Amino acid sequence: MHLKYESIVREPLVDGDKTYANVTEDIVRPIEQKPGRMWYVGFIFSLILLGFGVFSVVWEVYWGIGVWGINRTVGWGWDITNFVWWIGIGHAGTLISAILLLFRQGWRTGVNRAAEAMTIFAVMCAGQFPIFHMGRVWDGFWVLPLPNTRGPLWPNFNSALLWDVFAISTYFTVSLLFWYSGLIPDFATIRDRAKTKFRKRMYGLASFGWTGTAKNWQRMEALALVLAGLSTPLVLSVHTIVSFDFATSVIPGWHTTIFPPYFVAGAIFSGFAMVQTLLILSRRILNLEDYITIGHLEAMNKVIVLTGSIVGTAYLTELFMSWYSGVLYEQEAFKWRILGPYWWSYWAMMTCNVVSPQLFWFKKLRRNVPFTFIMSIVVNIGMWFERFVIIVTSLYRDYLPGSWTYYSPTWPEIGFYVGTFGLFFTCYFLFAKYFPVVAVHEIKFILKTSGEGQKKRMDSIEQKSTEEFLHEQMEHAHH
Amino acid sequence: MSQKQYWKGLEELQNTAAHQEVVDNEFKEPLPGISDSLLDATTPRRDFLKFLGFSTVAATLAASCEMPVRKAIPYAIKPEDIVPGVPNYYASTFVDGGDYCAIVIKTRDGRPIKVEGNTLSSITKGSTSARVQASVLNLYDKARLRQPMMDGKEATFDAIDRGLQSALASNTKPVYLISSTIISPTSKEVINQFLAKYPNAKHIVYDAVSYSGMLLANEASYGKRALPSYHFDKAKTIVSLGADFLGTWLAPVEFSKQYSAGRKVTAKNLEMSKHYHVESMHTITGASADMRATCKPSEMGAVAVALYNAVNGTAPSLPSKKLNELVTKAAADLKKGNGMVVCGSNDVNIQTVVNAINSAINANGTTINWAVTSNYKAGIDSDIVAATEAMAKGEVGAAMILGVNPAYEIGKKFADALKNVPVRVSFADRMDETAQLCNYVVPDHNYLESWGDAEPKTGYYSLMQPGIAPLFKTRAYQDSLLAWSGSTTTYGDMWKNYWTTKLGGQSNFDKALQDGIVEPAGEMPMGGGTFAGNIANATAAIAAMKPTSGMEVVVYQKVSIGHGGAWSNNPWLQEMPDPITKATWDNYACVSPKKAKELGEELTGITEVVTKKRVIKLEANGQTLMLPIVVVPGMHNDVVAVALGYGRDAQIGRAGASGTDKLKGDFGGKNAYPLVGYNGQTFTYNAAAKIEKTDATYEVGITQTHHSYEGRPIIHEFTLEEFSKDPNALLKERGEEIAKYSVVPWGEHEAHGEKKEELATQEVEEGFRKEGTLYPNYEHMGIHWGMSIDLTACTGCGACVVGCMAENNISVVGKTHVLKSQEMHWLRIDRYFSGMPDDPDTIQTVFQPMMCQHCDNAPCENVCPVSATNHSSEGLNQMAYNRCIGTKYCANNCPYKVRHFNWMDWNGADCFDDNQYEDGRRDDLNDDLTRMVLNPDVTVRSRGVMEKCSFCVQRLQDAKLTAKKEGRPVKDGEAKTACQQACASDCIVFGNVNDPESEISKIRKDNKERVFYVLEQIHTLPNVNYLSKIRNTDEIWAGNEEKDGLYKAHI
Repeated sequence: MHLKYESIVREPLVDGDKTYANVTEDIVRPIEQKPGRMWYVGFIFSLILLGFGVFSVVWEVYWGIGVWGINRTVGWGWDITNFVWWIGIGHAGTLISAILLLFRQGWRTGVNRAAEAMTIFAVMCAGQFPIFHMGRVWDGFWVLPLPNTRGPLWPNFNSALLWDVFAISTYFTVSLLFWYSGLIPDFATIRDRAKTKFRKRMYGLASFGWTGTAKNWQRMEALALVLAGLSTPLVLSVHTIVSFDFATSVIPGWHTTIFPPYFVAGAIFSGFAMVQTLLILSRRILNLEDYITIGHLEAMNKVIVLTGSIVGTAYLTELFMSWYSGVLYEQEAFKWRILGPYWWSYWAMMTCNVVSPQLFWFKKLRRNVPFTFIMSIVVNIGMWFERFVIIVTSLYRDYLPGSWTYYSPTWPEIGFYVGTFGLFFTCYFLFAKYFPVVAVHEIKFILKTSGEGQKKRMDSIEQKSTEEFLHEQMEHAHH
Repeated sequence: MSQKQYWKGLEELQNTAAHQEVVDNEFKEPLPGISDSLLDATTPRRDFLKFLGFSTVAATLAASCEMPVRKAIPYAIKPEDIVPGVPNYYASTFVDGGDYCAIVIKTRDGRPIKVEGNTLSSITKGSTSARVQASVLNLYDKARLRQPMMDGKEATFDAIDRGLQSALASNTKPVYLISSTIISPTSKEVINQFLAKYPNAKHIVYDAVSYSGMLLANEASYGKRALPSYHFDKAKTIVSLGADFLGTWLAPVEFSKQYSAGRKVTAKNLEMSKHYHVESMHTITGASADMRATCKPSEMGAVAVALYNAVNGTAPSLPSKKLNELVTKAAADLKKGNGMVVCGSNDVNIQTVVNAINSAINANGTTINWAVTSNYKAGIDSDIVAATEAMAKGEVGAAMILGVNPAYEIGKKFADALKNVPVRVSFADRMDETAQLCNYVVPDHNYLESWGDAEPKTGYYSLMQPGIAPLFKTRAYQDSLLAWSGSTTTYGDMWKNYWTTKLGGQSNFDKALQDGIVEPAGEMPMGGGTFAGNIANATAAIAAMKPTSGMEVVVYQKVSIGHGGAWSNNPWLQEMPDPITKATWDNYACVSPKKAKELGEELTGITEVVTKKRVIKLEANGQTLMLPIVVVPGMHNDVVAVALGYGRDAQIGRAGASGTDKLKGDFGGKNAYPLVGYNGQTFTYNAAAKIEKTDATYEVGITQTHHSYEGRPIIHEFTLEEFSKDPNALLKERGEEIAKYSVVPWGEHEAHGEKKEELATQEVEEGFRKEGTLYPNYEHMGIHWGMSIDLTACTGCGACVVGCMAENNISVVGKTHVLKSQEMHWLRIDRYFSGMPDDPDTIQTVFQPMMCQHCDNAPCENVCPVSATNHSSEGLNQMAYNRCIGTKYCANNCPYKVRHFNWMDWNGADCFDDNQYEDGRRDDLNDDLTRMVLNPDVTVRSRGVMEKCSFCVQRLQDAKLTAKKEGRPVKDGEAKTACQQACASDCIVFGNVNDPESEISKIRKDNKERVFYVLEQIHTLPNVNYLSKIRNTDEIWAGNEEKDGLYKAHI
């Protein structure tokens, strides 16, 4: 199942000649040390953003949604835009861990831990928006199908918003389980290295008494596969259902069957971009360049250019379909997207999402770290605009011109969004400090085949004749 | 006197020893609780005082803690005629100056909550206007004076009467009573008594917006200083020269009803009046017109003369082609008979020419009635000008100001003059601009608190009875005048006496009071008049008027605010979007798109959404006003129009006040009265003007930003000719959309599929309902409510909008939130322009009232995650406010965008403390006093829930319950929605569509050629249908790329 040999032609997944001890040392050391100054600066900055977000939300809940700019025509604005944006970002993690695990993509090991953490934090951020966009948030629990004293009063199972509740809560639960189950062996490693009682106790609790026996490993692998199997449809279903919020409506620009694949592709697109942003920063700050290599970044850039192209195709398909449908309202909705008072948002979306990712067809650019970093941000700006375009520019000019209007956000709306960045980065900084940012045991798993040092030792094997090579490798395999 | 002895018992009588002992020793047993030690203590008294002190302090502290104040009136003794929860109705009369409407006051538990039209009146026929609907809010206006004032201090009526009578007695100079037109016969009698008491007294009548020109012209032409009765219903050709008779001119409530009666078109009855309209700005009357052209206000005289000449056979040569065309056509039509010309000018000469035309076309006696004259306006401008001069010279001893506000309307000149009058009395209901200058302010009752009467037309009377006892220490002005004239009777007695005598007995009086009107039986008599005016002089005078070359300003009344008065402080009216501009809370300079482009503010599909409007400097009549511009297609390119009623003093109330806020800048608009000029005979409401752009901007809260309906099939317009040639055009168009979905290819109806017609017949409609969806069809048994709205009849006047606000407790959100499009009106009127933006004469305007369509397949219903909005078996789309969690998904998914969210805590119905929204101008609505206007049958919605039109479900329930109690089905017309009742033009018909005899069923059947449903093709199955707009004109511009520039440019 797992070859010990991997061709030298393949790029190593771990740079440098590492031993298992090196791997543990490199990845776990930052956890055991005092964090650097940059960590404190970043963490406090994140807390400030979070605080501002909390203030904005309290302000909104106390005074009412009227402190926002949304109105009788544009009922959803930055709130749901940000919701879909964060949910989209949350896709990459599970995709990397689940689908790439099933596809046996070794390169995912360097990035999956951080990507999964990102998923969980992003879903947490996303969840805030549908909660606090409710006019009466204190009654929000009515969307849950709980037995109740309000008579036989149940939620409306026809509503896509209700499907959202189930989809997102399931996704969050499974992602969290998946992430945590992978963390257990690494927590055990930290526990075993721990020098203080407190740390030993905490990581001991967190590792659930992991002893590293063969049975332990066997069960963990089985669990990982089961959860991967569960998560895979979820990756596709969550954003599909989010897209149903729009697709099941009657509003031109929303009511379209292309939405599920289009949303999923877009979500992966933005999710990978966000992973790039985070990993480029993490590998630099935590000195993990050997584990998160240029090769990893390139692999993800390839996914970005693929999904970016899918998204671009979807945009063009939408335009074509609106014309081809022959429906006046459909055609006009797209016309007003492109040419109406919000023209700039459409063009921002097109530039960031369709045009700029095409630059990743150049290998040089794919492997250029600063360029990748900039592109990762550009893509996420573009994807934010995509959601804005779908939500706001469909609503602002729909059927009756008499109801048309404009929408601009106000400070509590912006503050809420900023606050979710605060939440996200607060969590991420805590994660980077207390959790192994790279999956130690998974790196070790591929180290002996895909590590640079290992590959160097392949030299002698590579120089052997075909017969010799075959003989040796076959024998190896037979053992 | 015998010495009787009384005793309590035998012991006392016999006075035994035992008894004596008892008497001596009162406390024969030791007192419980008081031990000897306490009584013997050194300071028991002090302790007692300590206890007393402590408990008093404790009680005081406890009592001073805020406790909820519960205000409930226990009906231990039930007042006669009041059943809690059951409304009482009183016929009465709405009067504001000369504005008149016969009304019915709806009171609940003793307080008026709604005003409806009185259908018994042959004049207003149950119609109302936005102002009549809103008048009930004026009763509860927080800015009303709560007591009389003397020299700026509170006073009693006694003190005022004494002070004033002595002041008047010692006064040798004349007493001036300055009032608006008074149409009450008994009040006139009171005034006469008062004038008789003070021989040198003078009654000066003037109207804030004057009709002197007409009165004087009529005097010269017909020998009567009066206004005729107009019969728009009898007119086949109506020519209006700047008279906004459906909005603000003379008696719009009466005229709207008549006008719509002449325009009820069906495929079988193609009779329709033809309405020609010439104006300088854009009014709702212009919007309804069949042919419209614009001219500068200074050219109006020339247009009148041209029309006169055209009627007499001379071709016109006016500055614009369209005017010439209009005048030629109008003249030809007028000559056919049954014509009528009305003119909004206040110029005697122009009105004389108009009289000459009406005489030439024999309008007098057919459409213009001199047998029964109208008493709406009687003010003569020169009187008030002369009075002001006399006051300025110190020739006046006392000025009493009644129902007018000259310090605001006439302005500084009057205010300065008033200072020279020693005794100044105001009857104003609030400290308005004039009352502030008076040393006696004796507030009059609100009309809903008053007894009274009105004679809107000679011989046609209307009685006024109160709906509530006076809320404050106010006194009917008639009582004040009677008291000051030394009379001992009260006005109430005098009034009752007058009417009992006049009607001949108590029972007749009771009947009249119940009906609210006293009218001669039968049809209104018709009479002509002989024109005796000097037409030559008038035309010469008009020719001498030099038309100006530059810009001109027109001062106009908004349909909502009118001349100002108490209306300025009415938040319902302030927030009612102006029918044409859709702007709220401000006045502004209306300019044409072309002029705006010259000012650097081109109106495009992109810039239309900008709320910050450029401020211009407007100079006219020696005054300078800084006003934001609002672009109005249809305005003459060289005209700027400014509304009256704004720029009010802070003391008239918070909603109407204007001023400058440190943070927010200017608010409340600017006073346009100073732009009104005086030509030596009458006031002029237009002047040469200079405008200059500035760099400043000002935000105007406009509820509708887009002007064109983009050629979308949401409105269907036809010319009368098109409609008569092919009445089925609309049915065909609808059929093309829906017929193919009305059958399923595999269904039993395949046979029908073969002969599938393109007409939207009832069969096709039914098929579409059933087969246009995957879901099973729901059969509506019993009642199925439906509504029909006639776009031809709708004038956009907004009475329904305000009626809906009053009925359904709709929140006023204030300008800040209107700017964010967060207004709450359940019923909005979409206004669409079509035509070339640069050519005002091409603009055609159409109104579409839009409210919840109560879709039987409602997109809002299935998206609500908690089923807070759902469908009733009677076809109502209902809202369960309690269940709503406020996701706003339903509002997004509503194709009509008629759902409104409670963005803030508008009325203190929220569970959070102290978070009620306040903006400084709308807040009085939440005062305990103002909240008395709330309809107890309708929930006041809390923050965070969605709301929308309910088809006035409380009224439907009421009608159903009444019917149920009487054991019969609901009769057609028993359940009326508030909008339907308010409408002066009979646009709205409501009823049970399952009842084939109901009016709504009949309309949908008999007028099926005009019926359409908005967005029918998306299978929402609306329960509101519209009737197509039929315009008696040559061509419809809308949707025609070449002629509809607004559509082409997507503005």
